[in-house]
Amino acid sequence: MSLLSGIRARLRALVHWSTTERELDAEIGFHLEQETERNLRAGMSPEEARRRARIDFGAAESVREEHRDARGVRWLEDAVADARFGIRSLLRNPVLATTAIVTLALGIGANAAIFSVVNAVILRPLPFPGSDRLVKLSEDNPEKHWVHEAAAPANYVDWSERVKSFASVTAYTPGGHTTMSGDGEAAMFYNANVTGNFFSVLGIEALQGRTFTDDETWEKGTHVAVISDRLWHTRFGGDPKTIGRTVRFDEVPTEIVGVVPASYEFPNPKVDVWMPMEWKPTDRSKDWFRRAHWLGVVARLKPGATLAAGDAEFQGVVRQLQVEYPATNRVMGADLMPLQAFLTADIRTPLLILLAAVALLLLIACANVGNLLLVQALGRERESALRLTLGAGRGRLVRQALTESLLLSIVGGLAGCLLGWAGTRGLAALQPAGMLRVTGVSVDWRLLVFIFGITTASGLLFGLAPAIWRGRQSPADVLKEGGRGGSEGTRIRRWGNGLVVGEVSLALLLTVGAGLLLKSFFNLGHVNPGFDPTNVLTVGISLPQARYDSAAKQIAFYDQLQDRVRALPGVSGGAAALIPSLSGVAWTSDYHIGGRPADQYGTEIAHQIVSPDYFRVMRVPVLAGRTFTDADRQGTPLVTIINETLAKREFAGRNPLGQLITDDKIPDSTTKWMTIVGVVGDEHQTSLSTPPQIEMYQPFAQNPNNYMTLVTRTTADPTDMIPAVRRAIADLDPNVAIATLNTMEQLRSSTLARQRFITILLLTFAGAGLLLSTVGVYGVIAQMARRRTREMGIRIALGAPVGRVQWLVVNQGLRLVGLGVLLGTVAGLGATRAMRSLLFGVSPTDPVTFVVVSAILAGAALLASWLPAARAARTDPASTLRFE
Amino acid sequence: MPAPQNDVLRGTLELLILKTLTLEPMHGWGISQRIQQFSSGVLDVNQGSLYPALQRLEVKGWIDSEWRTTENNRQAKYYRLTASGRKALGAETASWRRYVTAVESILETA
Repeated sequence: MSLLSGIRARLRALVHWSTTERELDAEIGFHLEQETERNLRAGMSPEEARRRARIDFGAAESVREEHRDARGVRWLEDAVADARFGIRSLLRNPVLATTAIVTLALGIGANAAIFSVVNAVILRPLPFPGSDRLVKLSEDNPEKHWVHEAAAPANYVDWSERVKSFASVTAYTPGGHTTMSGDGEAAMFYNANVTGNFFSVLGIEALQGRTFTDDETWEKGTHVAVISDRLWHTRFGGDPKTIGRTVRFDEVPTEIVGVVPASYEFPNPKVDVWMPMEWKPTDRSKDWFRRAHWLGVVARLKPGATLAAGDAEFQGVVRQLQVEYPATNRVMGADLMPLQAFLTADIRTPLLILLAAVALLLLIACANVGNLLLVQALGRERESALRLTLGAGRGRLVRQALTESLLLSIVGGLAGCLLGWAGTRGLAALQPAGMLRVTGVSVDWRLLVFIFGITTASGLLFGLAPAIWRGRQSPADVLKEGGRGGSEGTRIRRWGNGLVVGEVSLALLLTVGAGLLLKSFFNLGHVNPGFDPTNVLTVGISLPQARYDSAAKQIAFYDQLQDRVRALPGVSGGAAALIPSLSGVAWTSDYHIGGRPADQYGTEIAHQIVSPDYFRVMRVPVLAGRTFTDADRQGTPLVTIINETLAKREFAGRNPLGQLITDDKIPDSTTKWMTIVGVVGDEHQTSLSTPPQIEMYQPFAQNPNNYMTLVTRTTADPTDMIPAVRRAIADLDPNVAIATLNTMEQLRSSTLARQRFITILLLTFAGAGLLLSTVGVYGVIAQMARRRTREMGIRIALGAPVGRVQWLVVNQGLRLVGLGVLLGTVAGLGATRAMRSLLFGVSPTDPVTFVVVSAILAGAALLASWLPAARAARTDPASTLRFE
Repeated sequence: MPAPQNDVLRGTLELLILKTLTLEPMHGWGISQRIQQFSSGVLDVNQGSLYPALQRLEVKGWIDSEWRTTENNRQAKYYRLTASGRKALGAETASWRRYVTAVESILETA
């Protein structure tokens, strides 16, 4: 009974909260009336009777609060009341509320967008079942400066046979091209060769048909392929009868045995065709099987085997191989790392830098909103003091301030979510192809927790100052001083100043980071690639090995093609090269210079195979000797041209012309020596940010190949020539497809794409940070100027020059900014080191960047302080005095 | 903030309210007057704190309330002791007596 009525009382109190409050008011009113009457009877004057009654009763407001406490529902009622009060007071000041919400939306939105990318790229597991047990095995060679390099097939086979911690090990080649014909128009697709267990190691199941069997790693005489569902739909219309059909890949009859989902995107997102390695069992004993490094290797750890234990056993096997095969493996190390870490290694630093940048932006946003609320709270000093006097609890005032800030952050958070959603889509759309593996905008719990976390944290963070202040101030001081600040007011104003200093220093940090990236990007854009990239079209053409099976046929095709293209109107030159410069890859080997001791070999020389016209067409300067001619062909002495860097390194001060060089590490009687006939200027082989490597060029006629890239210099926009070049190829052989097609400017720009993308993002964040902190400075200085308007009026009235009086305010702003710049610089000098790997040609502590950024910030702050100072000084002194 | 007034301890106030209500249902002001009368003006009930105390007792289910008309034809909230309130009064009184005896014995021996 008592329990029931107790619950009833609480419920009633909760449901009829306003009724309960009204009843209490009526009860208090009745009490006061009775007391007043009693006092009257005791002979007091009516006025005195009423006064006494009120004094005896005490503070009605605190009675109400205690009453709510007693009802046990106070927290909820208070929360509702606080929320209502908060909404009302925010609506009273829509400019402030809007500014705060936009500021927060900016900070939270940027964080949500970047975090969702980080989540998708780094945190979310790979789309393979049990992907945490997948590890990447790579080879390392300290002598050749190899880190995480591709593995040799023989080493792969030994690892998979010997390491017991691995349940299974698979290998794959990096994506290449294959021409599919015999089924409509010939077309080029990306393909990869894989070991038979590739799909089972990764846990990929066939949608149609089957994947490969383990024994298909080795040659069986018949040829099979697995295709992606993307290719299955686009090329075969999703016909289930595709399984079992035989098509021709590079003219080889191949049976399609299965379809797998394209979403697996492995080893790269473009691959549509997988084929088995088809190694010959006899390959195992061949020297090249252990010497050529081109395989990606992934192992699945046995259940229960730890990464450390697996690595320890793996290293043991690697050491065995070093002893067993000294000729190839003497210094060949290897390493093991989680597959996810390997796949995200190159994007990790940029993403973490961006995450740090948006975190800074959010801090600036919070400081800014904190400042806005502080300014607002100072304006409500009297109101708070009054409520305290009337008996409102201090805790209540603190909570009210926090409720207001949480309200703002929730609305800001919602707006930020929208912004973040749009931002993620924008990032996915604007990113350089393949940089971020964001296949779709997906929301998962990590993202929700993150957004909820930062929203609440930001609300508490920026609401803290006004809240603490409200709880601390002494109402008597405030009321006495006519709202012009007691000691707590001073303290809180100091807090506001602190926020400005913090904001400025964070903005400096952010802007310095962006400035360093901008300078790097500028430096990269001005790197001379070593050739003239304007108006050059590059077309990669792969000849089917089955029909172009002799050197003569290969040479004939490319020679005729060059002749036809050169004859096209609008073409000023045509040549062929194995790999166009700046395409991101290079083929390297060891080398040996004729006449040097046997153990004095060099490593990591880049190879290029070119037609005679190449240097003229690409405008690579010839520094000494000659270029190739038509006389350098099959049967004539082997010749080579080296680049300047190699000439300087190996022949410093001596004439390299006529010297011999070979790509054998240790020359023997079978070694093919090449005579150096020329020296040319350095070309950047892989990208603008990688310095030119040592390089040797060999003539195509002496090194024929069934894959070459046609480089065409045009007199106008090279893209206009694409149809004509396509026609020239088709006229020559309709069953040859185009593998790659880019202008040299596209290749050049794509090597910059990543840097450009990150730079633009960071610049955007820095711009937002700069803007926000300027607004913050403005807010605080404007508040300060308003408070000093009277003082300034008096000074001007007494004859002080206006400029001097303005300076009082501006000076104060500059002092805050100066301190912020100082702190930001100190922090920046330490923090920018983290982005060293993203910088090019600029030190992380580049003084020019620091000085320029500081000047920009100081300039913006000067403007932000001067505006309110000027306004205050312009006010008519008489009116400011009257205003008080 | 006004200093907390300890004229009548919180727990004590509730005990006094319960005791007062054993006579008849009463409104808040009546209770405050009655307590002052009974203690011959020694105990000065902080009138404001009376209402939260009444609310606490109501939540515990020891008292009930309803709006009634006074002799002067005014609306007032009357509080009434419930059965469990009567039982609680017995227990509270016993524990108060123990408390007073304990304090008393300390004062005498010291």
